[in-house]
Amino acid sequence: MNTDLVVEIDRITKRFSEFVAVSGLSLAVPRGSVYGLLGPNGAGKTTTIRMIMNITIPDEGSVTLFGDTLGGRHHSARIGYLPEERGLYRKMKVRDTLIFLAEAKGVSRAVAGKKADEWLDRLGLGEWRLRKVEELSKGMQQKVQFIATMLHEPELLILDEPFSGLDPINQQVLKDTIVHLSRGGTTIIFSTHQMDVAEKICDHVCIVARGQKVLDGSLQEVKQVHGGTHVAVAFDDGSEAAASILSDPSLVEKADDYGVYAELALKEGVSPQTVLERLVRSGARLRRFERIEPSLHRIFLDKAGPGAADDLKKEPAHA
Amino acid sequence: MHKVWAVIRREFVEKVRNKWFLISTILGPVFLIAVSVLPSLLATKTGKVNNIVLVNEDAGPLAERLRTQLTRTTRFAVTLLPSAPERHEAVVDSLTMSVRTLGIDGFLVVSAATTDSGGVEYRGRNVSSIRDMAVLESALRQTVVVERLNRRGVDPAIVQAAQGRIDFRTLRITKSGATGESGMATFFLGYVVGLVLYMIILIYGMGVMRSVLEEKQTRIIEVLVSSLEPFQLMLGKVLGVGGVGLLQFSIWGVAGYGMVHYRTEILSLFHVPAAAVNAVQLPVIGGTLIVVAGVYFLLGYLLYSALFAVVGASVNTDSEAQQAQQPVMMLLVFSLIVSFAALSDPNGQVALVSSLVPLSAPIIMPVRVATSDVPNSQLALSMAIMLVTSLVVVWGAARVYRIGILMYGKRPNLKEMWRWARQS
Repeated sequence: MNTDLVVEIDRITKRFSEFVAVSGLSLAVPRGSVYGLLGPNGAGKTTTIRMIMNITIPDEGSVTLFGDTLGGRHHSARIGYLPEERGLYRKMKVRDTLIFLAEAKGVSRAVAGKKADEWLDRLGLGEWRLRKVEELSKGMQQKVQFIATMLHEPELLILDEPFSGLDPINQQVLKDTIVHLSRGGTTIIFSTHQMDVAEKICDHVCIVARGQKVLDGSLQEVKQVHGGTHVAVAFDDGSEAAASILSDPSLVEKADDYGVYAELALKEGVSPQTVLERLVRSGARLRRFERIEPSLHRIFLDKAGPGAADDLKKEPAHA
Repeated sequence: MHKVWAVIRREFVEKVRNKWFLISTILGPVFLIAVSVLPSLLATKTGKVNNIVLVNEDAGPLAERLRTQLTRTTRFAVTLLPSAPERHEAVVDSLTMSVRTLGIDGFLVVSAATTDSGGVEYRGRNVSSIRDMAVLESALRQTVVVERLNRRGVDPAIVQAAQGRIDFRTLRITKSGATGESGMATFFLGYVVGLVLYMIILIYGMGVMRSVLEEKQTRIIEVLVSSLEPFQLMLGKVLGVGGVGLLQFSIWGVAGYGMVHYRTEILSLFHVPAAAVNAVQLPVIGGTLIVVAGVYFLLGYLLYSALFAVVGASVNTDSEAQQAQQPVMMLLVFSLIVSFAALSDPNGQVALVSSLVPLSAPIIMPVRVATSDVPNSQLALSMAIMLVTSLVVVWGAARVYRIGILMYGKRPNLKEMWRWARQS
């Protein structure tokens, strides 16, 4: 057992009658890390998080939290959990709601009241503390939910799809808060299928697909292991002329056209120099040509397979 | 325990703060008085005067006597119509027509044979009014009896004296001797006890259901079960809502006691003379009854709120809840209906069995205690069965609840719920 691990999952499996939601998944979350649990919808992220939180019990395997297997509920005072499906008591007053949710985690009433006031002031909801939740706008309710998750200053934050459904202002508020807490030493696990967000915040990632782990490690490791030579190209015009080069299988392994620019994975042994020469000769006017690290998005598509790529485009209703 | 306490406090404070608590606390007794007093009030007071025609076919003084008697009841305005037996058919036809065209309410034919045979016929629109017909029949009986006695030459003074009013009183005898309590008051007490228990168990049981459903609908349930055990949550909810019920019960109890105790003073504000107030006999509410009602409220509430918690956990929307709550409500309604049978025969077979069956016991047993002497052995047996059943049901309900609160989508059937209860 590694004491520097906040969460250690050992080969957990969860079945719902015939359907296997999570199969033999293991992962380790180092203390102080920002850990991204990545995967398409239906990959088993939420089920995994629920097993960490003791909401569902794994059929096989074990979850170790803070060095023991007593479960998330036992440690609820040390954990902040924001589920994917969020809600509050509509008729309850904002401050009372926050105090109750903290008390349910085992925080004393007096401390909860003080912290609630501090947080409400910090996020600009001070005047709303005695209003009923239903009187608040949706964005304000989301802020109240963040506060409920973080009020007791947990050592471990678990956020399930925290950015989904947030307006841009609250996305920023949440991102700032995550960064702030992470600098203060809080370990943060969050799940998402938005690779660009994960790439900006995470230092560790675990990619899951169809209930199984595809790869995990620090962001750096993952990118190194994935290897290959990646190039970003963008054109002012003449991209039609370059199209044949980008789709030449002797040069390019895979190409992702993001619209503004395209990410190319070059074939082994092909130098970026060669590709640049060919592009210049084709008459295309280049705006950008840059050697880059593979994006998490690219790695994800490669590793989680074409089926996963399809899943990414859909937004099926999540259980 | 700290966590359970937090849930109890939330349920209690939020429910008591709600304006519906205030409204139902005030309106509850008003409603109770309305359902228990109004029907009899309506039955006695709304008597509109029935216009009837009394056809006299050579019945002699009987007709005039009957008219006087009926007029005295104030329910009938009688027009005497002398006629002859030969014209019977024609008179009946024309009077029937007049009833149909709403001219009169009905008509009565007395003939010379009436005094001997006792045969009288009434035709009218109000024959379904039990009260009107009873008044009519009673007046007839008296008049015919007087007429018969007169014919046999009995002194009219003796007949007069024989007709003197009879004052029938019923007094209840309990183990401690005669109570001086009237049968009517005892019946009324039993009726109110059954109705109050039914109402309070139903209202607060459904309160638990709504609270469970609210947490499911707002999805706050997931945060809650990540912080505390589902059983702690359900326990806190049941105790918190039950506390509100107990508070309301106590408010009604204290207010009721105060009103009864100071009834002379209160009613004098409405210019009701003290003598009139004291003439109304009130049932004596013994300490045993209060304790028994309290115990059965707690046990019955525990049992039913656990069932309602399962209903709340197994549905997704209010309309689904409306449907799913029916079976549980039927159990309670059925118990209330059986309690009426227990009222008329508190020591009969039906009352005995239903006061032992745990689903109906919380209503029937207190009704029996209010209206008769229940042997201690039966009380002890019933409470023991109740307690064991409640605990088993709470245990089972907690297991179904634990799974149901996280399930969305199709409503589970009984078989699936049974499987949930058995899952570890």
